[in-house]
Amino acid sequence: MLNQLSRTGHATFARRPYICQECLRRLQSRHIRSIASPAPAWIRPLSTASDDRTPPKEDAPFRKALKDAAKKKRLENRGKAQSSDNPSGSSEFKSEKWELTVGIEIHAELNTARKLFSSAATSVNDTPNTHVALFDAAFPGSQPHFQRETLIPALRAALALNCEIQHRSSFDRKHYFYQDQPAGYQITQYYEPFARDGHITLYPHDFPGGVSPEGGPVTIGIKQVQMEQDTAKTIQQPPSTHLLDFNRVSHPLIEIITLPQIHNPVVAAACVRKIQAILKAVDAVTAGMEMGGLRADVNVSVRRRDSADSSQQSHSYHGVTGLGQRTEIKNLPSIKAVEDAIIAERDRQIDLLERGGIVDGETRGFTQGSKTTRRLRGKEGEIDYRYMPDPDIAPVVVGKDLVQHLKSSMPLLSDDVIEMLVDPKRYGLTAKDAGTLVVLDDGDRLDYYLEVVEILRRIFSEDFAALSRVGKMAGNWVLMELGALFKTTQWSADRVSPSELASLIAHVLRKQITGRTAKLLLAQKFDGDARPVDQIIVDEDLLLRPLSRDEYLAMAQQLLEEKSDVVRDIVEKGKHQKVKWFVGQMMARGAEGTVEPGTAEEVLRLLLQLPPMEEQRQQMKK
Amino acid sequence: MSLSTLAKECIANQSKYTSLNAFISLADRASILSRVAKVPPSRNHGPDRLSGQLIAVKDNICTSDLPTTAGSGILKNFTSPYDATVVKQLRDAGAVIAGKTNLDEFGMGSHSVHSFFGPVKNTNARGEELSAGGSSGGSAVAVATGQCTAALGTDTGGSVRLPAAYTGVVGFKPSYGLVSRWGVIAYANSLDTVGVLAKSVAQMRRVFDALNFHDPQDPTSLLPSTRRRLGRPVTQRPLRIGIPLDYNISSLDPTVRKTWMHALKALQQKGHTLHTVNLPATRHALSAYYILAPAEASSNLAKYDGVRYGSRAEGPDGTPDSVLFAKTRGRGFGDEVQRRILLGAFSLSAQAMDNYFIQAQKIRRLVQRDFDGVFSARNPLLTSASSEAEGHREGAGVDVLVCPTAPTPAPELAKVKNQDPVDAYMNDVFTVPASLAGLPAVSVPVKMRETQGSGAGIGMQVIGQFGDDGLVLDVGEELMGEG
Repeated sequence: MLNQLSRTGHATFARRPYICQECLRRLQSRHIRSIASPAPAWIRPLSTASDDRTPPKEDAPFRKALKDAAKKKRLENRGKAQSSDNPSGSSEFKSEKWELTVGIEIHAELNTARKLFSSAATSVNDTPNTHVALFDAAFPGSQPHFQRETLIPALRAALALNCEIQHRSSFDRKHYFYQDQPAGYQITQYYEPFARDGHITLYPHDFPGGVSPEGGPVTIGIKQVQMEQDTAKTIQQPPSTHLLDFNRVSHPLIEIITLPQIHNPVVAAACVRKIQAILKAVDAVTAGMEMGGLRADVNVSVRRRDSADSSQQSHSYHGVTGLGQRTEIKNLPSIKAVEDAIIAERDRQIDLLERGGIVDGETRGFTQGSKTTRRLRGKEGEIDYRYMPDPDIAPVVVGKDLVQHLKSSMPLLSDDVIEMLVDPKRYGLTAKDAGTLVVLDDGDRLDYYLEVVEILRRIFSEDFAALSRVGKMAGNWVLMELGALFKTTQWSADRVSPSELASLIAHVLRKQITGRTAKLLLAQKFDGDARPVDQIIVDEDLLLRPLSRDEYLAMAQQLLEEKSDVVRDIVEKGKHQKVKWFVGQMMARGAEGTVEPGTAEEVLRLLLQLPPMEEQRQQMKK
Repeated sequence: MSLSTLAKECIANQSKYTSLNAFISLADRASILSRVAKVPPSRNHGPDRLSGQLIAVKDNICTSDLPTTAGSGILKNFTSPYDATVVKQLRDAGAVIAGKTNLDEFGMGSHSVHSFFGPVKNTNARGEELSAGGSSGGSAVAVATGQCTAALGTDTGGSVRLPAAYTGVVGFKPSYGLVSRWGVIAYANSLDTVGVLAKSVAQMRRVFDALNFHDPQDPTSLLPSTRRRLGRPVTQRPLRIGIPLDYNISSLDPTVRKTWMHALKALQQKGHTLHTVNLPATRHALSAYYILAPAEASSNLAKYDGVRYGSRAEGPDGTPDSVLFAKTRGRGFGDEVQRRILLGAFSLSAQAMDNYFIQAQKIRRLVQRDFDGVFSARNPLLTSASSEAEGHREGAGVDVLVCPTAPTPAPELAKVKNQDPVDAYMNDVFTVPASLAGLPAVSVPVKMRETQGSGAGIGMQVIGQFGDDGLVLDVGEELMGEG
């Protein structure tokens, strides 16, 4: 396809964007067809290596398909045992006997304006092949032009991961053939990465439920962070057509390599989740995992805890020795997949070893929603990447002043944000809620929450009692009530704007509407009622009206008649404290928030002919 | 002679020498002549302008108006979407591109016989078919037979100097990084250098002067700040001429040795002094070169897969019977290219990397250190501290080295066609060291009275310290002045 263009359109190449009109037409017709037919077009978002094409999800139909699959799986699991970590029922026993070791490699698309080695713009959904420089398409005689600005987000990411920035780093070529790799090699940093020796600490709040499976904080070493190029995007048109979009070629990536210091699938998942949150917090990456901006490979091995000197455990990875033979699972597209794939691969290796088998050093794949990993290629099929220093790219030298400047201008990291959120003087959230807010929706939920609180603080700027409650209250509404509504659909801050939610919460705080009313109102707004909250309250007469004294009396009277046995306890046996029980009953019976406990008790005492509260207290003092 | 007459003469020679197969594609004659005719007369005789001059370009240098094939089947129908910087510079200086010259495929070869478009032929006065040298054999023959006034070649391990020596013209490889490589199809980037071929040093200098500029498009192009530090004003005469004893190998052809002695004596008679020097790493240079260059080549040529441009093998590729682009690459590349890709892929493989590639890199450094040790000028690319460490002794060294370009005169074409590949590689033994060290080197034809019968003369090479390009050309000119 493209070579036709090279013959016909070459003269204007340098000035005009490089678009193969034929490909474009076919692509457009594909879109039309893909709407008509249910078969999803598979687009691979971000490559971590040569092959292993896991179907990913940059187009909405596919993401929907994935979601449906996940939903189906949830339903399936509902009937089964709680833990998916327990296929054979003996897993706990096995993990006493076997230790799991995991290392992770994360690839993330850097948030930069230009490509790594050409001044072509980076893009996400632009018309295919409109941002392609000569070098990106590997035209003969073209040379790389390193874009220095791409270092900035990379350095921020490495600093946020506590890495040491190397004064000098260099680029190497990693060779393999694939049609999405125009030069026949990927430019990466193999011999001299730009950052080394970092670490990431997982606190209890980084885990689901706020509980670390290891008891306390877990620190995982980061061996290195390197910069590299992305590949082209392949759009498959079954049975045998592959359309290539070179817009993505040479989009800058970073690869983060952890040490094999993870021994629990939950820790691995938390580690990926946290790295994702950190990268997002320092504005280093374009998108999270669910948008294909981040992908992970995991290395998995197991070893027996009781025998340290078995020949099976003589392997060493990144300087960590005494490990079992590892396998690599490539291109995991979600955090859930990271956890599930590790569990599946751990169990497979243990079963294999217990049956007297040997784990082969091989590359395996895992499909979202599946329960087993599958072999992609064995050692004999292992690619020798023939790393070679790139002779056209000078070493990168990063000055101390730049590192210092970036360090001092770093935004708040998620750990700092969580600290701020749980501070009772500031937001007063629980550690669990704070952790959830930070990781939800790539941080969009957090931004939303902060805005709601900001508005509430303005509303209640004079009311100190209310001010102290807005953080926690807003947390409940954003996470629980709004969270429930967004359970089955993609988060969007536009469904219920922050100011509308704040107005709703303000009404509740002022006891102008009941909590139940507020929830119904929220659902109404969520479902698209365009009227402002104030308007709906007026239109539908939802404002809370205080109960009259007669209404109090009637309610109390009815209650006392129904529960004559309790009345007897109070009047005859003198168990006056049971009046409080009646107060509670009245509050529960009346529309939420309408029954004031003080008035209720007063009315109850009147009817029971007990002394009023003040008197009673004075009597007790005597 | 007017420019038009000159141009017509070149065009006539192009027809006359078609059988030598110097060109892969020729520019349209009518448009050449009309362009030459448009040059204002006042510009005709400018000493440093190239107005109206017909200059041939080696076919591994990209042109947007003529195909760029690199002599390969895989690019047989390829036209580049852009002009190489050097082509643009020539056009800007008023030159007219005469055509694209034949070469060993992707510059890999020493006799210009490994071309998809057939071998280049070089004939002597007796009409015998000789090797044109490689890989810029087409450019050399085109200059030697008057089909153009000068030509661009590329020199990775001697590819400009060797053909110049075999065809009796001047061939110059400048210091690495002086001339832009943007648009030059890479063979081995860390060694590739654009060079110039011409009949006289003066003519060659005119072309070089048009190309000797920083190019931001080429990441290895020397910055203006570095360029200002290069090339000392050569006022100190007489010069100290170095004779590298390690080049006096036993297989040196007697005629070549005799011409070498003659050239040295001539320089001595002009008042320069002669000094023997040792370059002990030289004996390993050739082996190191044939590790490093194929390694880079195997990487650089990985892009030719027939997907985005270039030719594809018929039928489906990437089936279980032919992995990915195996068929396309198998059909598109010639034997010598395939041999070097395999060699390079091997020396870069994990099992061989330490024993071959890394060792060869070390030898490359030793070769550079050898040169730095004998030249009186410091290597301007090294800091003074590191040049001390490399054992440089100020003032004691020589200004240039003079040695043969090749161990023999041009061999017969029939013989080299059946030559063992390793024997063919031996031709590069004298040119490779300067390439590894990135030094300027010029090959000039030296004729002796008693050997004048052989016509073209014997190629003598002048090698200088990095950045001493001007000095090297001066000495080359003095050598040529001897007849």
